[in-house]
Amino acid sequence: MHHDFIDRYSRLNSPVHRLPTGLKLITALAFLLATILLPAPWIGGFALIAFILLGLAAVSRIPPGFLASRLLMLEPFVLGIAILSLFQPGGGKIFFLLLVRSTLCLFSVLLLSNTTSFADILRVLKRCRIPGLLVTTLALLYRYLFVLIDELERMQRARAARTFRSSRWKTWQVLAAIAGQLFVRSTERAERIYAAMCARGWKA
Amino acid sequence: MHIPDGFLDARTLTLTTGLSATGIALALWNLRRILPPRQIPLIGLTAAFVFAAQMVNFPVAGGTSGHLLGGVLAAVLVGPSAAVVVITAVLIVQAFIFADGGVLALGANIFNMALVGTIGGYGIYWLVRHVVSGLRGQLMAAAFAAWCSVVLAASSCAAQLAFSKTAAWGLVLPTMAGVHMLIGIGEALITTLVLVAIAQTRPELLAEPLPVNGTHAFERLAFGLLIAIGLSVFVSPFASSKPDGLEHVARVQQFEYKTAEKPIVPAPLPDYLLPGIRSPALATALAGGLGTVLMFGFAFLLARTVAPKQEGSNNR
Amino acid sequence: MNAVEIQHLSFRYPNGTEALRAISCSVAEGSCVGLIGPNGAGKSTLLLHLNGILPETLGKESYVRIFGEPVGRHNLDTIRRTVGLLFQNPDDQLFCPTVFEDIAFGPQQFGLSARAVNTKVQDTLKRVGLCGFEQKSPHHLSQGEKRRICLASVLACEPRILVLDEPTSDLDPRSRREFKILLRQITATKIIASHDLDMIAELCDHVLVLDGGTIVAEGQTIKLLNDEALMLAHGLERPHSLRHLHPHG
Repeated sequence: MHHDFIDRYSRLNSPVHRLPTGLKLITALAFLLATILLPAPWIGGFALIAFILLGLAAVSRIPPGFLASRLLMLEPFVLGIAILSLFQPGGGKIFFLLLVRSTLCLFSVLLLSNTTSFADILRVLKRCRIPGLLVTTLALLYRYLFVLIDELERMQRARAARTFRSSRWKTWQVLAAIAGQLFVRSTERAERIYAAMCARGWKA
Repeated sequence: MHIPDGFLDARTLTLTTGLSATGIALALWNLRRILPPRQIPLIGLTAAFVFAAQMVNFPVAGGTSGHLLGGVLAAVLVGPSAAVVVITAVLIVQAFIFADGGVLALGANIFNMALVGTIGGYGIYWLVRHVVSGLRGQLMAAAFAAWCSVVLAASSCAAQLAFSKTAAWGLVLPTMAGVHMLIGIGEALITTLVLVAIAQTRPELLAEPLPVNGTHAFERLAFGLLIAIGLSVFVSPFASSKPDGLEHVARVQQFEYKTAEKPIVPAPLPDYLLPGIRSPALATALAGGLGTVLMFGFAFLLARTVAPKQEGSNNR
Repeated sequence: MNAVEIQHLSFRYPNGTEALRAISCSVAEGSCVGLIGPNGAGKSTLLLHLNGILPETLGKESYVRIFGEPVGRHNLDTIRRTVGLLFQNPDDQLFCPTVFEDIAFGPQQFGLSARAVNTKVQDTLKRVGLCGFEQKSPHHLSQGEKRRICLASVLACEPRILVLDEPTSDLDPRSRREFKILLRQITATKIIASHDLDMIAELCDHVLVLDGGTIVAEGQTIKLLNDEALMLAHGLERPHSLRHLHPHG
């Protein structure tokens, strides 16, 4: 399949990857909370968090280039919102604080998501008594996301192969038609999945 | 519109997480009553569909492109309660796998997009649909609701940022709402076109939204919520300029931003604040109202243009 | 006792398509029966009736019996435990985030303890030759591996009747060969719907030819598949392996 790169590194085998999922989730949450609650003047605290995160990243054997590129890819979104903070008294300081905080948070989440498979997170959620319907939806979303993206790509390629020149409005219509088709197929697939679940004795 | 971690303070996070948890619990509770077992996989597949559809890039201009958000689309296709679960699931996966949107801020993002955007949008859809009949009415309702849902979600997002003292309300609202009034046009177009495509191949999928019975109480709730949001959007610009207003950021910074508003900030969206009106708050509200009316007209024209001919007098 | 007995079975889809018309047939216990016919003949629809996914309601004098038990609302649990259904598309059948959960799904539904489920998953994975695949996600598997996990997920329910819908479509020759070897090792009663007539010739001792929702021919595999006129009349052809009279295996 083409899209397994999305969670490629969550399947590495490092000391960090082997930690229990619950522990990793709690640690990540603790890091996030600490980053958010730390008062602005405590620069040492932020430095410490950054230091620990870098250490964990090194132990996790995720290629640093990959982490850095993911971080850079997400940073524009952070900047986009942070810029709004500039236009108020003391804006420069707030801007800088927001940047530091959100970058550290992003780094924590990236570490978590690349050292933990989503299936493991789902298992923890199930154990935490998150309602079954939500967990089932998440599991199906994760499972079929890859299938649907591939399906989408095939449809787009088939369209491209037969398109020579088209107006923007036409392009929108065609792309929307592809999305519509994808939904129709999804409903049909949902029927077949329901059959497959029943065939193995599923009771709602 | 995904708020990353680090922008919202503990107070806002707690509040939005609580509100979201309640909203999701209500939606799940409602689904348990009305959802036949054979539809359960459909919710997961719709979530995967929304996620995948968000990855389709629609070319806008100069190399930029936009994409679907899908709250109203999901609500029209599988009903409001299911759509809340669908969008929530999408946001959770985005936060955990793609680090798109914060993990702590998940509650806030779910509140904006899955609750305010989706339920609010669906409320508007429901209202308009009861006024204009036929597939054309459905499309027009969806177009207008899609636009509103994006603007509502963005305004809610702006409110959270202001409430966390991350940015001044007087600036963040016009900026967020203004930018998303443009993005919303794309959302309206995509939502409508996708619905048209579905109506052409499998009209029965649109004919009857998933929850057939037992939605009334929920719809009424959505309606109430909608009014509340509508009020807050149009009233809050005024509130912020008064000391007892929405949040005390305004009190602290009111003087500064009032003076700063025009000369220093080259209005983020110049056409958004109407010229000739002195109060920026009034201008914001008026521009918002005017935008809404324009969009309503646009939705009407759009539905007329794209509705498949032979389906003119489909269901009610 | 016959494993499957069908009497006068008709089925019409909600959109009006008449998929099955008064089908009657039976499958002896321990046999391996091939179900062949052109696209749209009703093969998949018939298979869905074998473990009660279809229909919602049954006609009066018609029935589907599994080991003598008529399939109905009341005994769906037992029926679904008895009849394992392998679907045509592995992506529809493997709906869990990991291989482990997929194979464990059936046993869990039948109320096995966590430990028993775990052992069951290990055993089944060993049976299909994919030990160590527990934590993989289906989107990390090759087509051949997916098919085998599908088979494992059905075998984990220990069905007495195994129903397979196009089990070898979209497999490369090697995976197909390996899959056939796996199937041969399974002692349960097997019903295989397929266009892969070479496989049918190899595995099945009895064949049903379905066309337009009715059974148009029934009999010993080699005899039927060698009937060139019959094969061509129903969108099939005499399999290559029989033409050259060098039976495999």
